[in-house]
Order: sequence, then structure tokens, then C-alpha cells
Amino acid sequence: MAEVEGRPLVENEWIEAARRGDASAFEELVRRYQEIAYRTAYLVVGDADEARDAAQDGFLRAHAALGRFRAGAEFRPWLLRIVANAARNRRRSASRRAGLALRAFRDAASGDAAPSPEVLLLADERRRELLAVINGLQFDDRLVIALRWFLELNEEEMAAVMNCPRGTVKSRLSRAMLRLRAGLGEDGSDG
Amino acid sequence: MADVRNGLEARLAELSGEIAFPTTPPLVALVRARLAQPEHGFGLRRPLSRSLALVLVATLLLAGIAAAFGIGLGGLRLVFGPASFSPAPSLVVGPGLGAPTTLDAARGDVTFALRVPQLPGLGEPDLVYLADPPAGGAVTFLYGERAGFPAEPASGIGLIVTQFRADIGPDVFEKLINSGVSVVSATVHGGPAWWVAGGDHFFFYRDAQGVEVDSTLRLASATLIWEEGGVTHRVEGAPSLADAVRVAESLE
Repeated sequence: MAEVEGRPLVENEWIEAARRGDASAFEELVRRYQEIAYRTAYLVVGDADEARDAAQDGFLRAHAALGRFRAGAEFRPWLLRIVANAARNRRRSASRRAGLALRAFRDAASGDAAPSPEVLLLADERRRELLAVINGLQFDDRLVIALRWFLELNEEEMAAVMNCPRGTVKSRLSRAMLRLRAGLGEDGSDG
Repeated sequence: MADVRNGLEARLAELSGEIAFPTTPPLVALVRARLAQPEHGFGLRRPLSRSLALVLVATLLLAGIAAAFGIGLGGLRLVFGPASFSPAPSLVVGPGLGAPTTLDAARGDVTFALRVPQLPGLGEPDLVYLADPPAGGAVTFLYGERAGFPAEPASGIGLIVTQFRADIGPDVFEKLINSGVSVVSATVHGGPAWWVAGGDHFFFYRDAQGVEVDSTLRLASATLIWEEGGVTHRVEGAPSLADAVRVAESLE
């Protein structure tokens, strides 16, 4: 198991170990990023099975490209760029569209007093309305919103996934938010 | 209307925890199994070299391959076979590259996210050309001699980087490849790429009527071509595949 004098490895050390051919180190990287990689692929390709295959492809390509990973760079955006590219390749043929859904069961609130049924119902309606409008947006708008708000990626990671300069991320997100507001019937002016 | 924006952002943040993504599959096991397959070509226990050893071995022996054989790439087709025309004897920069422009102007004139190599020492391109058509525009950066990128003597050009939309239609650009040329599969940011080197190979634009536009014809040096994010790229003039990949992966 990859350890240095009994202490757990930090990410850069996992990467270096993986580059040297340490299988357990690469598997640790997969374990650490499999969820964000899979969800990113799902948002791009729009199908659970295709996302699974795209995420696999992405990790295999990342494994093959580890030798060119720049030491000291952020690993997550580098990986997500590769996964998103793999997903885009599959999206061209699959031409599917992910329909984001709400959880069927939400965790019961702990600690605070339970809200009334009326409040819960209203909150549910508002969530469903918001999600329906998001699902109705064009692919690029929905993707940038989902990356920002549902995967909580940072700007560098969003740019990597969308394959655009970092400066473009803000403008795309801003335009998508305007269209989301319009879909919700809200005033889109910045005031 | 800051309140409206903040309110919507708060709603999105709240919604975040409610999104039901599909259950993440057991990727550790799946990836482990894929890496263990003999046809994968390399195993985890094998030390990883920096670049070339990880290039997928796919050198195509072109001698004897029928002229009809080709590899498709967005907006670009590799055609294997003898040239039906006489190539220019050296790098030629002709009007077919489009009109001279500036980097900033080109950014606003194309319908894709134009990216520029950020490799240290390369700096900004010396010349920028914009061609339109093809639809969406095609931008070519020309660099004079740079450290590590010696200039081709006849033209003074050290490096050429071209970008155009991958969905401009079939066969708009063609790379004609004669015998003696090796086409090696490579990767850029983990995605597929092709390294075309050796022998004679030519890159030219074919107009809407299918006519070869010889003003863009260039006797190409080794070229890396790949598609990324709906944009087809070519990097020409790098001394080696590793150098070309460094240029390619520095695009921002």
C-alpha cells in the first residue's frame, strides 16, 4: 500500500506514484474522483450507461496521459477535461439528453422543528418548477448551470469541462442565468 | 435587481442537494479490469514514461493502401494516395490562408472559442490569418523562429497552428498522404490525435465545388492534428511529436 513512513500520501504523491506504475496509487485517484467524474460525464452525455463508459474511458486516457501531467498542476480539472472529452465523443453518437430529477426521498431534517406540510409542499413545488425550467434550457445553458450549482465546480474546472477559456465561463453562466430567470418569469435586468 | 439574483442563486444552491444523480458505478473495479486487459497495451505495473511510450502504437503502413482509404476527423479528412497535382516546393503562405488580421479581431470573428498556445517562450503569433469560408472561420497562427522551433529556411516559419470548426462539413480540408508517410495515433489531453510525419503529405483547402485551392497548399512538415471541443486543430512544424503535444496541450 502506498504510504511514506506510515503517513497517508497527499494527492501529488499519489500522482507521482501512479506515474511510476503503482496500481494502488492510480486506483486511489480513481476512488477519489469517480463520483465527480461520473456525474460530469452524465451531465455531458445524458445517459447513465454512456456516462459509466465515458468515465471509464476518461480514467483510462488519464492513466495513459499521466506522463504528461504537469507536476504541481491541479489534477481535478485536468482529469475532468479528459472525462468530458470522452463523454462528448459518446454524446455525438448517443444524442441523448439527461433529465435531472429530484430525489424521491429527502433526508428528514434533524434538530430543527419539522416544517408544516404546507411549507414542505410549497418548497417542493418551487423546486420542481425550477428544475423543470432548467431541464427545458438548451444543452449549453443547462450544462453550465449544473456544473456551477449542482457539481459545485470552480471556474477552472468548469472551463476544463466546457473546453473554453476561463474568461468565457462567466459570460456563459451569466447568459444561462438570464435565460433561466426568463424561463421562471423573473425580471432578468441587473438593476 | 440584486435581490432577484441572490434569490435565484439561493434556490439553486438549495436544489443542489436534491438532485438525484444516477448511482456512481464501481469505477475502481471497472477501470482496474479494463487496464488488466491484454489488448489495452500497458499495465499498471509497467512504469509510465513521459510521453512517447504512451502513444498508442498505430503506425499505418501506407504503401499499397488504396487511394480510397481515409480517416475522418471533424472537418478534415486524411486521404491516402498519390498526389494528383504538383506540390509547392516549400512552405508557401498564400492568400488562401485568408486575410491578415489580429488576434483580438480573430477572436470576435470566429464562432468557436479560439485558443492560443501558452507554451513559455512562444509568445503571441507573429501573423494571424482568418479565412471565411469555411463556415465559422478558420484561423491560422504563424510563428517565426522560436527556441526549440527552428524556422523552415525558405519561409522563415517555425510553427503553424490552425483551428477551425469541426462541423464545417465533410472534406473541406484534406490532408493528402503519400507512401512513406507514417500516421501515428497520439493523444492530446487524453483525446485522440494523429501525428503525420515523414514522406510527402499536403494540407489544402477544398472549396464548396470540390476544387483544390492550391494557394493554401503547403508542403507540410510533421503535423499533429486532433479534434477537441468541436474544433479541429493542427500544429505543424514542431520538431517532434512531444514538442507538438506540448504546444497542443498549452492551448488556452
